[in-house]
Amino acid sequence: MSEIPKIALKGLRKRFGNKHVLNGVDLDVCAGESMVIIGGSGTGKSVTIKCILGLIRPDAGRIEIDGVDVTDLKGRALAAHQGRFGMLFQGGALFDSLSVWKNVSFALDQRQGGTRLKAAAIDNLARVGLGPDVADLRPSELSGGMQKRVALARAIAPRPEIIFFDEPTTGLDPIMAGVIDHLIVELVKDLKITALSITHDMGSVRKIADRVAMLNEGRIVWQGTRQAIDETDNAYVYQFINGLAEGPIKMVVGGH
Amino acid sequence: MNSLAAQAVRLLATLGHLVIEGLASIGRVTRFAGRAIGLALLPPYYPARLLEQILVIGYFSLPVVGMTALFIGSALAQQIFIGGSRFNAASTVPAVTVIGIVRELGPVLGGLMVAGRVSSAMAAELGTMRVTEQIDALATLRTDPFRYLIAPRIVAAVLTMPILVLVANAVGVLGGFLLATNKLGFNSGNYLATTLHYLKFEDVASSMVKATVFGFIIALMGCYHGFHSSGGAAGVGKATTSAVVSAFILILLSNLIITVIVFGS
Repeated sequence: MSEIPKIALKGLRKRFGNKHVLNGVDLDVCAGESMVIIGGSGTGKSVTIKCILGLIRPDAGRIEIDGVDVTDLKGRALAAHQGRFGMLFQGGALFDSLSVWKNVSFALDQRQGGTRLKAAAIDNLARVGLGPDVADLRPSELSGGMQKRVALARAIAPRPEIIFFDEPTTGLDPIMAGVIDHLIVELVKDLKITALSITHDMGSVRKIADRVAMLNEGRIVWQGTRQAIDETDNAYVYQFINGLAEGPIKMVVGGH
Repeated sequence: MNSLAAQAVRLLATLGHLVIEGLASIGRVTRFAGRAIGLALLPPYYPARLLEQILVIGYFSLPVVGMTALFIGSALAQQIFIGGSRFNAASTVPAVTVIGIVRELGPVLGGLMVAGRVSSAMAAELGTMRVTEQIDALATLRTDPFRYLIAPRIVAAVLTMPILVLVANAVGVLGGFLLATNKLGFNSGNYLATTLHYLKFEDVASSMVKATVFGFIIALMGCYHGFHSSGGAAGVGKATTSAVVSAFILILLSNLIITVIVFGS
């Protein structure tokens, strides 16, 4: 590929105390594609995303967005960098002190006034299949699946260039998980967003991924297309997608 | 003998670790405070958040602070009357009450009560936001968590504590006045005249300085411990406890330092 990748990670390392979470992660994500990182709990998936977002500073390695090094940004430059991303957090991370529509319109320009902000929020809620009747509810009044959808509406509202999905289907029933997967695929295509997801739900991977990368012990051990995961003879991938206890992946007892 | 030396070394090592850890904590809190103050002064501001915090910290603390001051003012007048009667100095009740309340008990008890109410609530709220990733979410929603969450809390506490302490001082003196005039047989006109005669400007000024410092400590401890909490519900509980305990100790310590500086010479 000759084009500059949207996200490029080069030799990313991070340790917390004595625990080496990232051991040199190298990964390219192209513009407009949906990349999914798979791997067991505690393999560094969340830390990778938080490094790209600038929430955690890597100990070594570089992060490039559109070919520009963003590893050491600070202050306003870091804030501007973070403004290019949207993120769907695992638990939704909705602000429980604010109503649904205020959550969804949170990242929009607040100077345009309440009426227009609420209209914009209702538009975005419609994109995730929610009616205007939920706009005035509090997040605590919604079910888990609905909270995820509101969080998704909030993440896409400012039309980010890149969106992260952190375990988008964890804790949902299979049908709601299917609905969220379907929404992710649709939104990424419609809004032409580059998507980077982390999950250990293989059903979800098969629906949302263009390409898949497998992370183990802080390193990318395999990457390929969605179709290739079922054909590869890579022992890590084989063990992971078949859920086998025996294999090269050693389960760490207790995460960080 | 050898094992004794080894034990002594181990003891020294533990002590060293404690000192280094203590100094590191002071450094971390100072950096946190510096960043909060710096960002509080620069735009963007969040006036709605500030007003909300002024209401939460200031207005809703009024009943607690008022009751505390009323009860302690009355008790103080009673004790001074009993103590003073032993050497024919019962007439010092209004003077000692007003000095005791304005210089020490108003700001200190007011500060401790507000710390109990507010530091704990801030630590619990920010701690929950931290463990549910709401603070990380702010950063992805074009909002600086420090400006949005920390700065308004610190500014609101620093602005409202002096007003709360003024109220505490007034209500404390009123408590002494009510008890002295109704139970101890003081003449109300004389009591008020003596109170005003002994109330000096520097008493009120030192009271306000203390209140401002205490307000800063209350919000700083609540925010610092909440913002850095980790480890789920248990972590939030620990953060809340640390916030209240550290706020209490810092209030009492800074009170001692201010008292010695202002009145010691």
